[in-house]
Order: sequence, then structure tokens, then C-alpha cells
Amino acid sequence: MKLATMKVGPENREVFYYRAGSGQPLLYLHSMLGLQGFAPALARLAESFDVIAPFAPGWGPAKDQLPDVDEGPLDLTLHQCDILDRLGLARAHVVGVSIGAWMAAELAAIEPMRVERLVLVNPLGLWLDRADGEDPFAQHPGFPSAVLFGDPDGRKKHLFDGRDKVDAHVEELLNLRASAKFLWPIPDTGVKRRLPRIKAPTLVATSELDAIVPAIYGPAWRDAIANARLATLAKAGHLADLEQPEAFATLVREFLHDAAIAAVA
Amino acid sequence: MKFHWFNLMPWPYLPDDFTEKHRSVWVDVDSRLFDPVKANRIYNDYLDLLELAEDVGYDGLGINEHHQNAYGMMPSPQLMAATLARRTHKAAILLLGQSLALYDPPTRVAEEMAMIDCISGGRLISGFPVGSSMDDNYACGVNPATLREKYHEAHDLVRRAWSDPDVFAWNGKHYKLRYVNLWPRPIQSPPPIWIPGGGSVETWDFCAEHDYNYSYLSFQGYVRGAQLMEGFWRRMEELKCDFNPYQAAFAQQICVAETDAEAKRLYEKHARYFFSRCLHVYPGYADAPGYRTEATIRAGLVSQMAGQSSALNQAAALSWEEMIEKGFIVAGSPDSVAEQINKVATSLRVGHLVCLLHFGDMPNDLCQHSTRMFAEKVIPQMRGLWQGHEDRWSPKPMPLADRAVPREVTMPTSANEPTPRRVAEVGR
Repeated sequence: MKLATMKVGPENREVFYYRAGSGQPLLYLHSMLGLQGFAPALARLAESFDVIAPFAPGWGPAKDQLPDVDEGPLDLTLHQCDILDRLGLARAHVVGVSIGAWMAAELAAIEPMRVERLVLVNPLGLWLDRADGEDPFAQHPGFPSAVLFGDPDGRKKHLFDGRDKVDAHVEELLNLRASAKFLWPIPDTGVKRRLPRIKAPTLVATSELDAIVPAIYGPAWRDAIANARLATLAKAGHLADLEQPEAFATLVREFLHDAAIAAVA
Repeated sequence: MKFHWFNLMPWPYLPDDFTEKHRSVWVDVDSRLFDPVKANRIYNDYLDLLELAEDVGYDGLGINEHHQNAYGMMPSPQLMAATLARRTHKAAILLLGQSLALYDPPTRVAEEMAMIDCISGGRLISGFPVGSSMDDNYACGVNPATLREKYHEAHDLVRRAWSDPDVFAWNGKHYKLRYVNLWPRPIQSPPPIWIPGGGSVETWDFCAEHDYNYSYLSFQGYVRGAQLMEGFWRRMEELKCDFNPYQAAFAQQICVAETDAEAKRLYEKHARYFFSRCLHVYPGYADAPGYRTEATIRAGLVSQMAGQSSALNQAAALSWEEMIEKGFIVAGSPDSVAEQINKVATSLRVGHLVCLLHFGDMPNDLCQHSTRMFAEKVIPQMRGLWQGHEDRWSPKPMPLADRAVPREVTMPTSANEPTPRRVAEVGR
């Protein structure tokens, strides 16, 4: 799958994105580490949906766009709307992982009519003093994202296989830099006040082995959103889409296709 | 050549098993290891040493800023500078310095430095480091992704606040001030500006652009430091800056004794305390994502792959002789120290040497000994180096005759004594 580009919004910001599949549109918002190519989880989802997976400003090939967006949710949310507008999509399912789940929740809260159904996997953006999650930004710089994987070899396998070591490591650090811009020093983005505005039926999922977002956050997100249910992904760390692509895609597909869920509340 | 006496002000009571029992000397160091009553003695010892350094002929008295760490006890170097401004009269006050992005509004830094320059009669050197990741990002919570943007904006604001005589509005990205109008203003316009750095190309360009002194602070030893400074001078040449050794400073651990063997006997354990305990930083606090620029990250990864260690505490595993050979420490008799210092100065081509004559848990009297020996027997051998180059990076104070003289210090001999006696009569 080739990375495509398009220009969006009044600033003509360049967007690097993957698009594949057919069916209902699904906007996929990536984790702290960006996109690792058109990964298996995306391919699985593309069997049932029209998947649009952009790099957010600051990540991957869009690394130099980081200064163009403010730390808060507004610029990022407008950017997601610009993407939907550019593609002529009034509404879409929105699936976010990690920091992408925060962006997805903000989009669904600020522009509730544009989000059909919402999936938040290991969402960052809320803070509970009693949860003792690891600090994703205070890790050994030699292997800074190892903590995001449940599998001890996960970082090597998913980020470095077949790549130039220096390039892959630099990209990893720059993706973490982009994440830090929005989540430093405590990932409390203020989204909590906006969550009651979400109208889309929502699935919140936490991963069994996530050291960053412990399971205790699952109920906190679910309870703050009007029409939300909770699920767990087994044998996965924070980056469940990379580590358990089959289970991840199945969970998302079944939720988005579940006819028993009521439409807009 | 100029010599500055610099003290990191380490906490000297870290236990022998510190590195096994604790993960970091910085950020989350166990505060129960701090004893404020002992700190009364330590702070005063350290300030006494700085004052002594002026008496015996050092050109500058160096202090700097670190937070939440037992490596140093100086979250606020301005406080140290303020007391030195009153109790010394000749030496430069080398404030190396204030991490600009930590202060909102950064005009606070401009104000405090102006105060110190006025009180000291124009003896301030203002250092503007970005600051370490441990301090800026982890202890003070500044976002690493925007730290450098903030630093540069704060720098521009401070410079303008010092120089623009009119009230102005500052509508920056990170700072917005409707009325900027500094009061007081510094005697020197502006005080000499030094930029402490660890080796990023961006910092070199910044120094070249503004004609600032580049102060290389590293604990990797001068042998490796020479390679880095070679890059600095090459870059300055590319940018068409005339070579002037005074545009660069280097920080070096130094200790002097009667003989080489005596130096080892007297100082080795204190050097080990420094390199093992004071530099025991948890790697997760050393380099927040975004703290370093992309170019610096890339260069660092390439040199690591070539086998160069980047660990702060790499000297801890070396023998005393290896520490000297690799230049982590300059040590020995006055003549052998002079020979090593000559190597430092000429291989790095620096006109300012920031002398770390106190390190680790070195006691006051021993440090006085080393400080005096270096001043009396080493500095005179080196003074003439770099003759013919103009030092544009030292302060230009008011003439002594025109300056205010602080009231003589008095202190009581006991808590209920009515008339205080002169300090000189009390003795030390």
C-alpha cells in the first residue's frame, strides 16, 4: 500500500495518508508511534471498511508540521475535519489508538454530528492520581518505546525489522516528541470536561498488558461518555493494533457492525 | 588566559551504597538524604571557597542552576550571585547561568541579572543555557517539544528588555506582555553572554550569529572534548568568524598537590564520589523526547554505533591513571598540572578555563589547599597564553574608586551578646 498525499484546509497543509477498502468510511487515528506502514490491523479493517489512516501533524513524514498546531485539541480537531471535508465525508466511524484515541474523543466531542461510531483503544488524555501507569516519556533513550509493547521484543519486531537502525530510532524519538507536545508532563488534556458532549455510540478498549494506560482507565472513560461500553484486549501492550491485529480488527469490526446498538442518542 | 573558579555545590553526604540503593541522583532522588542543618555548613563552606578564590586571584566565580538533585544545591544561582556581588569586589560573577525557558515571564531573568550587575558594579557574566533535560523537562515540567522555541523567544525578549529604552509590547508565541519596561537595567549593556552547551551544531551557529562565548560543559574529558571543539572552531571558520580563543570556555575538574602520588592519595576518593554518585542519573531522565534536535539525535546515534559511550558516569569505572589519561580529571604536582592544562588550552584552543577545583565530597580545607596551589603555582605559568587576543567576553566593571563599598560584616559571638564584633576578630 502506497502512502498518498493531499492538501487540506485553508492552510493547504499536506497530509500523508493511507486509504484502502470499501464500505462505510473509517477514520483511523494512530498511536504515539505513528503508523508503521499499512500494518496488518489496517489491512484487516480495509476488508470491511473504507479505511483512511493519516499521519497527524508532527508524526512520521509530517514531522516538520509540529510547530503548526497548538498543544490543545482545537487545531488537531479542525485538521481532522479538514481531512473529512477534503474527502467529501460528512460522517465517518472514528477509531483511535493511544494518543489517537484522545484526538478521536476530541473530534467526537467538538463535532459530534460528524462521528458515526467511536472506538477508543487505550486512550490517553485522562489522569487518575490513583493509577500507577508508567511515564512513557521517562524511558531509557536507547529503547524509549519498549514500554509501549507487551512483548519484550515488540519494539524490535514492529519498528526495526528491515529498516535502517538510525532512521528507525530517529523516527521513534521524533514520534515520541510529537506525543510529548500534547501530553507533557501529565497526560491530562482537559478532555474530561468535553466527554459528555459525545453523541456517538462508543467502545472503550484497554489492553491487558498496557503499562501506560492501566485497566483502571477503562471504566473512567466509559462512565464519562453517555453511550459507551467497555472491552479488553488480551496479550497486548499499549500498541494493541500492532501486537494483536486480528483481535483488534475483529473487536472494532464487530462493534461498528453491531445492529443492536442504537443510533444517535 | 583566564581562570574561573567554579563549584557545582554537590551534596557531600550520599551514602556509600547510594548507587545500588537509589536509581537516580536527579529528579526523584530521595529527599530524606538531605539534611538542612548540614546544609547550613555546606552552603557557607561553598560560598567561603568562592570568596577565597577571588582573594587568591581567580578571574571569575562560577555558579549555575540545577533542580531536584544531589549533584548540586543551587536551584537559584541568582541567590549565590547576589551574595557574591556584596562580598567580593574584583572577580567576574560567572552566572552560568539561568535556563531561560524556566521563567515566565523571562523578563524576571533580565531583572535579576540587572540587579546583580548593578550591585556588583558591572561584574556579571550572564550565561544562558538551555538547561539539562533533568532540570527543564522532568523537574520543572517544561514541554521538551517546545523547549527550544521558548528558549529562543525568551532570549530575544531578554536582550530587547535590556536594550530598548522605551516601553514595548511583546506579542510572542510563548510569551505575551503588553508592557515591557525593565527597571532596573544592567550597568553593562549588555553583560557578556556565554552559552553553555554540550555540543549541538545549532548552539554553535547561535554563538556565531550573536558573537557569544561558547562554554563547553562536559564530563567526558578534554581528550574527547578536543574533537568536539575542533568541530566548533571549524564551524566558526565556515561562518567567517575570526578565531579568538576567548570566545570559548571549557570546564575541567582539576586538583593539585605537592606530587603526583600525593594528588592520587588526597583526591581520588572525592573524584570517585563525583563520577559515581553525583553523575548517577537514571537514563530515563537524561533526554526527554524532543529535548535534542533531530540533527543532534542523529549525530549522537551515529557516534554511539561507532562505539562511543554517551553515559554520564562512564569515568566511574576507570582507574585514577586512566581518568587522567583520558582527561576526565587534571591532577598531580603543579608542574604536571600545568603541563596538562597547557594541553587542555591548546588542544581545545580555549581562552577561558572554568576550573572545577571542588568536586564530590571534597572537604573545605583540602579544596582550599588545591585552590591555592593552582592559583600560586599553575596559573602564573599559563597567564601569558593567548596574548594578543582581545577578551571581549569578560565584564567591564565600573572603576573601583567609583563603586559603592558594602558595610563591613559584623556578627555576634553568641545569641544574646548585645554588641556584635567584626568578623575579622571572630576568626574562622
